[in-house]
Amino acid sequence: MTKRMWMALISLAGLFLGVYLTMYKFGVIGTLACNVGSCEQVQTSRWSVFLGLPVATWGVGFYVLMLGLSIAGMQPRFLDSRRLSLGILVLAGWGVLFTAWLNYLEGFVIHAWCEWCLGSAAMVLLLFALAIMDWRETREIERETR
Amino acid sequence: MANKRVETGRGRKPGVVKASKKASTSNRAFYLIIAAIAIGGIAALTYASTRSNAAVNASPVDTTLPAVKSEGYVMGSPTAPVEVIEFGDFECPQCGRFATLTEPDIRKNLVGTGMIRFRYIDFPLQIHPNTWNASRAAACADQQGKFWEMHDALYANQDRWDGAATRNPDKVLRQIGDQIVPDKSKFDTCVDTKATQAKIQAHWSLGMARHVEGTPTLVIGDKQVAQSLPYDQFKQLVDSALAKSGKTPAAAGGDTAQSATVGGAKGGSKKAR
Repeated sequence: MTKRMWMALISLAGLFLGVYLTMYKFGVIGTLACNVGSCEQVQTSRWSVFLGLPVATWGVGFYVLMLGLSIAGMQPRFLDSRRLSLGILVLAGWGVLFTAWLNYLEGFVIHAWCEWCLGSAAMVLLLFALAIMDWRETREIERETR
Repeated sequence: MANKRVETGRGRKPGVVKASKKASTSNRAFYLIIAAIAIGGIAALTYASTRSNAAVNASPVDTTLPAVKSEGYVMGSPTAPVEVIEFGDFECPQCGRFATLTEPDIRKNLVGTGMIRFRYIDFPLQIHPNTWNASRAAACADQQGKFWEMHDALYANQDRWDGAATRNPDKVLRQIGDQIVPDKSKFDTCVDTKATQAKIQAHWSLGMARHVEGTPTLVIGDKQVAQSLPYDQFKQLVDSALAKSGKTPAAAGGDTAQSATVGGAKGGSKKAR
């Protein structure tokens, strides 16, 4: 399994998580399954909406993009594409920053934690780590093929 | 390092894209895993969306706890066969969700038809810095017969006066209340002097005595649920309580003429404290 395959798998898992939370925000699911923390307190807080859309929906968009880029990166013509690696890295980096902001809000403003958000944060961090490794690898390939 | 990349097809010169046997196996494994995740994810989401229509797990009410007598604010017929009690916190987001999403249907379909009587009792949680101010303001509005209007306005505007929005909640609460009550001056004085503090304290003490742990806590007949509920689940518990009571709204001779006016927060509140 390549790093991009792992990224695609993690993105797909994240995508389902985002869809689950989005369904909650739109009232499709009555209550959230939440064994640890206060998911509903976080999900119903004023910070759970960003630019008019639920944060979870932005998450869905992020994971869809990441999934698309990762699968595109598995195609032979993009395997060594440094530009695509850089795109994945920038997207994952943006995801890390946004997630850090959300975790700050949970810990210091809302004073409640949501296990689903923490799960998503772990996935974003993993994606970022894989994106760094992938980018370094393509950079190395580029050097060797010069 | 270079060998590893060649195994998966990377590092080849442009145009040389034929995958090795190992890469092909790897791809197959990947597509199998991705299909498994997709199937698992869709199944989980389907289950989650149908679970919301399943029966809710409610715990039985401990009958040794102090009974609710006349505390709180009541909407609906005094002869309704089932009383529902909500221990609520005005700054709690779940309570806000319940008030804005579920309560309109409850008022229209259950309170308005004389099936239930709805009682709201303040249970301000320590974690919410402005919730006591909101409870006091609602009690001030109640002095002018406008509790439910204030109740709805507080929940609908939580983000204007909650702890994340302001450190001077009374100012915003006065603005909200002034649009609702007939006598603004009396309301403002009531808010400023914390005239209703003792009443809220009594409500909170009752909640503590009944071991209320979180909000909203809903007591429906002899069952208790410590979470917000969508209307369907709420109705299931009401139906169960109605069945146990052995009464129907008609048999109970519900004062439906009075309760029929309560939909959309038109009902008056009755108070004892």
